[in-house]
Amino acid sequence: MKSKQSIPYMVPYVLWIVLFVILPLLLMLIQSLQDIHQQWTLANYANFFRSGTYLKMTFNSIFYAFLVTVITLSISYPMAYGLSRVKNSQFWLLLVILPTWVNLLLKAYAFIGLLSQTGTVNQFLGFIGIGPQQLLFTDTSFILVASYIELPFMILPIFNSLVEVNPSLPNAARDLGATPWQTLRRVIFPLTLGGVRAGVQAVFIPTLSLFMLTRLIGGNRVITLGTAIEEHFLITQNWGMGSTIGIILVVAMGITMYVTRDRKKRGKR
Amino acid sequence: MTQPIIEFRNVVKKYDDHVVLNGVDLEIDAGKFYTLLGPSGSGKTTILRLISGFLDASSGDILFDGKRINDVPAEKRQVNTVFQNYALFPSMNVYENVAFGMTLRGVAPAQIKTKVTEMLELVKLKGFEEREIDELSGGQQQRVAIARALANDPKVLLLDEPLSALDYKLRKEMQYELRAIQQRLGITFIFVTHDQEEALAMSDWIFVINDGEVVQNGDPIDIYDEPINHFVADFIGEANIIPGTMVADNLVHFNGQDFKNVDGGMRPNEPVEVVIRPEDVDIVSVEAGAVTVRIDTVSFRGDYFEITASDMDHHEWQIQSTNGVEEGSRVGVTFDPEDIHIMRLNETEEDFDARLEAYDEE
Amino acid sequence: MKKQSLLMKFYLIVVFLLMYLPIFYLILFAFNRGDYMTSFTGFSLRHFATMFADTRLMGILLNTFIIALLSSLVATLVGTFGALGIYLLKRRNLQNVFLGLNNILMVSPDVIIGASFLILFTMAGLALGFGSVLIAHIAFSIPIVVLLVLPKLNEMDSALIRAAQDLGARPYQVLSYVILPYIWTGIMAGFFMTITYSLDDFAVTFFVTGNGFTTLSVEIYARARQGIDLSINALSALMFLVSLVLVIIYYFIANHKQKGSGKHKRATVNQQLGGGVQ
Repeated sequence: MKSKQSIPYMVPYVLWIVLFVILPLLLMLIQSLQDIHQQWTLANYANFFRSGTYLKMTFNSIFYAFLVTVITLSISYPMAYGLSRVKNSQFWLLLVILPTWVNLLLKAYAFIGLLSQTGTVNQFLGFIGIGPQQLLFTDTSFILVASYIELPFMILPIFNSLVEVNPSLPNAARDLGATPWQTLRRVIFPLTLGGVRAGVQAVFIPTLSLFMLTRLIGGNRVITLGTAIEEHFLITQNWGMGSTIGIILVVAMGITMYVTRDRKKRGKR
Repeated sequence: MTQPIIEFRNVVKKYDDHVVLNGVDLEIDAGKFYTLLGPSGSGKTTILRLISGFLDASSGDILFDGKRINDVPAEKRQVNTVFQNYALFPSMNVYENVAFGMTLRGVAPAQIKTKVTEMLELVKLKGFEEREIDELSGGQQQRVAIARALANDPKVLLLDEPLSALDYKLRKEMQYELRAIQQRLGITFIFVTHDQEEALAMSDWIFVINDGEVVQNGDPIDIYDEPINHFVADFIGEANIIPGTMVADNLVHFNGQDFKNVDGGMRPNEPVEVVIRPEDVDIVSVEAGAVTVRIDTVSFRGDYFEITASDMDHHEWQIQSTNGVEEGSRVGVTFDPEDIHIMRLNETEEDFDARLEAYDEE
Repeated sequence: MKKQSLLMKFYLIVVFLLMYLPIFYLILFAFNRGDYMTSFTGFSLRHFATMFADTRLMGILLNTFIIALLSSLVATLVGTFGALGIYLLKRRNLQNVFLGLNNILMVSPDVIIGASFLILFTMAGLALGFGSVLIAHIAFSIPIVVLLVLPKLNEMDSALIRAAQDLGARPYQVLSYVILPYIWTGIMAGFFMTITYSLDDFAVTFFVTGNGFTTLSVEIYARARQGIDLSINALSALMFLVSLVLVIIYYFIANHKQKGSGKHKRATVNQQLGGGVQ
């Protein structure tokens, strides 16, 4: 089968790429550069960068995504490390993956029940004498639930990079006098940076754009880039501004990928 | 007698019901080159890991400088290992790899630099400091691994089949170098291999391991010349092993004839096995031969011919000869009384040693 | 060492508990006699009865599954041939261009996919509803299939194709006798993976669904904004069961007959889950 013969197979796929990958993004870019009367303008961008609200919102969004990334990373690394060391680790890994197959909305919904004014957590707080607190619709609840949802996506790539570490390397480190902690920090961690990067990418970018959590759990207190886009497209119908924020989100995504790229390209083994 | 640097006292290692080491006793003296020799699965690497601390003994004592170290963690033991696949840290360059152990101990940078330079010189890798690990050939990685282990000033260096991944020529070269490094530094090397040739070429002392037990230990010449049993004779070098009976002291019966030999101390008419090394067999005329054989195959090996032949009892003979013979021809073979080695069946190492010592006294 | 591993086990158990607590909490209250997710007043199946009697919800459930099945079928077909096309491309850099384009939708945030598709459909004059949701689901599922099928193709010995041709097989015979059987597990894995992505999708659907048509995720969102409704819990119990079945099928397929390179395969899938659409 020569290259030429691949052409008929490719037709629907190439059509898909043009229609659903290139065209939508192009349209979004065009939309962001037009005003409501379809005149070319940079007003949307000017508006975005001049208005304190948009910048503050962007900063907040990045800050929350950063927090969620840090929290999931600090829970995930020891988790993945432990998982890579137990018997039947593939089975336990399956248990990590399973929650990701449960509908996202259902997980968010569970937290509404858990965190509500009369919810289970508040009942517990009342029981130990702290008394019911406002839990739902706070920044903390948003960060908590977002971290919960993103956790498996951080554990998986780190776990994969951990199991790929040659098992004789930790032995060699200990042989040379490294304590378990030194072995982890100086030998294993540098070798699993690839997994950490992949995890950061997998958590940071989606968290920037989560919008239904901000409404269900954050009670509109937290506005992410995603929320702003949804609002402009579906509520205020200002597609130009929505597209502008969208393009900025795409740029933010690009920057994240660039920052977390594999800097030292080395052939493996 | 000086105190051994490492001593095993009835060390047992088992996983659930699977026994890997079945009561091993051994003594390692400081400053010598030791080899643990055995087929794969014999337990030799297990012994190494028990010394390095990566495995815990199920029972028995492991002593280092006379102190029990069973419970000392690997990182606190004064031994270092050269791993089979080198286990160099891919995220560090050559310098950082060699410096690793010293960095952990917080040695001053200037001192580290001196030591790394010295070690790289020792393994002939001067100028490779800044190289990345994946830029090195297998042989160079091997050298870095040795330098890294030695940079920690271990009292004992453990080498876990370190040469098995190298090609034949490089391997020969590394054998000489390892031996030279050991003699220069004067520290104890414990080398694990399944390659008998390697073991014979490098070692001061060999432990032959099989089925989780030390079958025989001794210097290379003793082990080659006086194998304790069928396994050792077969595993170390080529051997003609023929069943026979010890008629009396210095007289053994096999192949339907009595032969003079130099062994004794056995029951009259005790069944034994006779070992004759191929290079000790001489080809002569049929009339002059002790046994008549028919030549089956002759293959040229460069410095000698490897010949297989069979006698009238259909025993196969392996012969090494500097002169070729014709395939299919009938010739006689002879051997000197000293070349006939007798192995008793199921003799323990203690009895074997006692018997050998008894001859020496005579 | 011993003590530390005990600590580690404890840690693993705690994290697993935290991961599963909300899910089991949700399912537990599906069996509550009372109407709130606050106190469990006794066992009852009445919320399941309510759920099944809710014809609107049942209709939405049906829609959701129809969308998932249809979009996965089409996406699997297009994606498989796309992967085949990429595999057969001779030039490496052209392959990389296609892979790069393929991955754009994998890494793009859902909001971007949803919003840009909304612009696209509006410009094209397509009415929002079943059709637009179906097309959107097909569109975001195709790259998943490509990413699962392509490694299988790359793993195949290309001598197999040459051997078949040497024996006189025509291109379609090469495809049906040699290539398709070899990559079949990848295709099936892609099919099931895209079903779960489709069932789970909220953001993209939310943008392109319009007023008349609703899928499960969108419906749960609407109901959850109004507060607790235990028939949603009953639904989640049901959906959890479905996910469990799908997960088992998926892993059976993905790990079937690939003992040797299993790790690599899993890594691909996990990377995908990791970079996945949310």
